[in-house]
Amino acid sequence: MEFGWNEELEAFRDEVRAFLQEFDTPALRNELANRGEAAQLGPEQTRLREALEDRGWVRMCWPEELGGEGKSQWFQFVMTEEFAKREVPYGSGFGTMVGPAIHRFGTEAQREKYLPGIWANDITLCLGYSEPNAGTDLAALETLAVKDGDDWLINGQKLWTSAADTASHVWLACRTDPDAPKHRGISTFIVPMDTPGISVRPIMTMSGGRTNEVFFEDVRVPSDALIGEVNQGWYIIANALDHERVWIGAGGGLRHIFDRLMAHVREKRPELLEDDVVRRRLVELELDLDVMEGLVLTNASIVASGDTPTMEASMSKIWTSELRYHISNVAMDLLGHEGALTEEADGFAPLDGELERTYRASPIQRFGGGANEVQRDIIARRGLGLPRH
Amino acid sequence: MDTTLSETQRLLRESLRDYLSNEVPFDRIRELEREGGADQTLWEYLAGAGFLGLPFTEAHGGEGGELTDTAVVLEELTRRACVIPFLETTASALAIERHGDEALAGEVVRGVISGVMTIAPALQGATPANGASPRVEAGALSGERRFVDYGAEVTHHLVEATENGEPGLYLVETAADGVATESLSTIARTPLAHCTYEGAPARRAGGAEALQFLRRAGRALCAVQCLGNAQQALDMTVEYVGMRVQFGRPIGSFQAVQHHCANMATQTLSARFLTYRAVWCVDQGIATDREIAKAKALASRAGTEVTMQAHILFGGIGYTEEYDLHFFSRHGKERALAWGSTEECLRVAADTLDEVQPWQ
Ligand SMILES: Cc1cc2nc3c(=O)[nH]c(=O)nc-3n(C[C@H](O)[C@H](O)[C@H](O)COP(=O)(O)OP(=O)(O)OC[C@H]3O[C@@H](n4cnc5c(N)ncnc54)[C@H](O)[C@@H]3O)c2cc1C
Repeated sequence: MEFGWNEELEAFRDEVRAFLQEFDTPALRNELANRGEAAQLGPEQTRLREALEDRGWVRMCWPEELGGEGKSQWFQFVMTEEFAKREVPYGSGFGTMVGPAIHRFGTEAQREKYLPGIWANDITLCLGYSEPNAGTDLAALETLAVKDGDDWLINGQKLWTSAADTASHVWLACRTDPDAPKHRGISTFIVPMDTPGISVRPIMTMSGGRTNEVFFEDVRVPSDALIGEVNQGWYIIANALDHERVWIGAGGGLRHIFDRLMAHVREKRPELLEDDVVRRRLVELELDLDVMEGLVLTNASIVASGDTPTMEASMSKIWTSELRYHISNVAMDLLGHEGALTEEADGFAPLDGELERTYRASPIQRFGGGANEVQRDIIARRGLGLPRH
Repeated sequence: MDTTLSETQRLLRESLRDYLSNEVPFDRIRELEREGGADQTLWEYLAGAGFLGLPFTEAHGGEGGELTDTAVVLEELTRRACVIPFLETTASALAIERHGDEALAGEVVRGVISGVMTIAPALQGATPANGASPRVEAGALSGERRFVDYGAEVTHHLVEATENGEPGLYLVETAADGVATESLSTIARTPLAHCTYEGAPARRAGGAEALQFLRRAGRALCAVQCLGNAQQALDMTVEYVGMRVQFGRPIGSFQAVQHHCANMATQTLSARFLTYRAVWCVDQGIATDREIAKAKALASRAGTEVTMQAHILFGGIGYTEEYDLHFFSRHGKERALAWGSTEECLRVAADTLDEVQPWQ
């Protein structure tokens, strides 16, 4: 057992900090502030991404057979943490999830065709999993791919396909055997978004962001659009873990909210700090963040030791997603009516409106990525060994 | 003791519900939220149909009803996410009628009932950041109020201010010289304004008693709004989880989902009791700050927790702009903060803990 960081990791942390010092420029900030939901990276982000790639930091912890260096996962952790501290994103969206899947399940030709583009961000992806009748029950998906000569003919509808309007390709899960048990009749495809027969309709969300509905009408793709074996899709999906973001995931920004809240209260609402109850509420939030850190580090430690976390990952997912709601909710409540102001209320909004923005955006992480109800089932059954009802 | 609706209240609720579902589509609310402003058409309907006169005395042209009647109407309006200064105007005029300047009361109440006069309370409120306290000197009001609901939309403000060191309420015309309003956007996207007064002509409308009544009535009625948001989200959720199928069965058949719904329903029902009791006590003149603060704390929680839990059970569909659920979670959260957040209300109750009597 050890709760500190060894010299090698500390040295690496310094290196990452120096790197960020160099690349976290006003130009990058400006680009990030105006990026919207685009999957395409702007010039500054591209520059940063290329520099990361040059240093070999993007895939350093991936296994060698996936094109990585097989370094300890702690390097990845330290890097993610430093980027999160500065609120600079470094991932290439879904590419870091799909890339390894293509590497592992694709043919040599497919690897050559797609991977360089994915690493260079010339190929950007959206994720075509969910459908109107397949949300939490993803395996119920119905979009049909039928073999037609050498080609595949795809018909159906995807829902919630974020970035479908900007991505160059969709990573698509289709039903290829309607008669097989539902988990055994799914296959995965990579399909250019400009293929005839694909149409995209925007859906605006209450967080202000955009996601999409995507329709497939007689979309014809060649046989090499299929990644992996026919009907092996569920296995591929289940294995397509996001190699970059799996640990820190959604929790990164929460610590910032707390820090900003403290700064706001100190500067603008010092009277609140004279109230013992408020002080105690703030300590409770701090403790909630400590719990998050504990769960995140426990998961990271399991991964670094070569194992796969199961119930620990679910715990971390539940806690982090619920804390996103809780921390914004409590903070707004402490501030009273001014807590309701949005960033448009220039000069008046606490934390530039970040609290209400976070509050509005908080539901998705609780029902998305495996609803928390299902995560609790996983903890109880797989983690604690309780019987199914 | 009777927690059920009276016959009058049932009729009020049904006729208003019919009207709103036919005449106030949610797209109308979307438009108002986008473009700002209050729903003038709805206001004219409410005036014409007599909804604005419910709690006022017959001597002033009102219905002589109970404040709980008004609360039932307010809850119904909330359940349609209506954007009108109904709470603000009713509570203000009632404070003047019951405890304020008698000469002014007739004019104000008649103006309100006919629909031409709308009033926004501009009080110190619970949030200390609410601006420098206004003062009145020789009939001229100066100062600032940060958070005034419908401050830019109403015809009048009823401002808490001091004159010769004494607190009171002062009626100011929004259009008068020296009154400036700047709209502030909130999570609810309903009207809120930052108001500044610079020598604005002001008429004294009431003293400490009127002010106290307005504070209490406003907070109790705001609790009704919190409750309305919770109730609407609960009802929508129960209907939805009974229909939405995943894993070959309605999601409402999963025990985890049922437990969430059961908790939401319990939270809403218990908040309902305390909230309506608080309104009733205000009406009867037997309310205490403490009881009202507790009711609002509970209703604020329900309006927040129930509406957000609804989002979890709706999944993606409830998260979209196209769907109507976000009206209740956004409005629910904003109302939870207005007229004293949970935390601020608990502070009031904590400060008066000595009032707690043993059960006897
Ligand atoms: C903004 C946004 C972006 C998205 N981006 C993408 C994307 O890019 N690609 C993509 O493929 N998908 C995407 N999704 C879809 C997302 O993954 C789904 O919303 C999620 O899987 C939940 O599915 P659902 O919305 O159909 O909810 P449902 O499946 O209908 O679930 C609703 C609720 O029912 C309850 N429930 C369901 N099953 C159970 C159970 N077994 N036990 C107990 N309770 C249960 C839970 O409370 C759950 O929250 C996105 C969604 C949103 C809103």
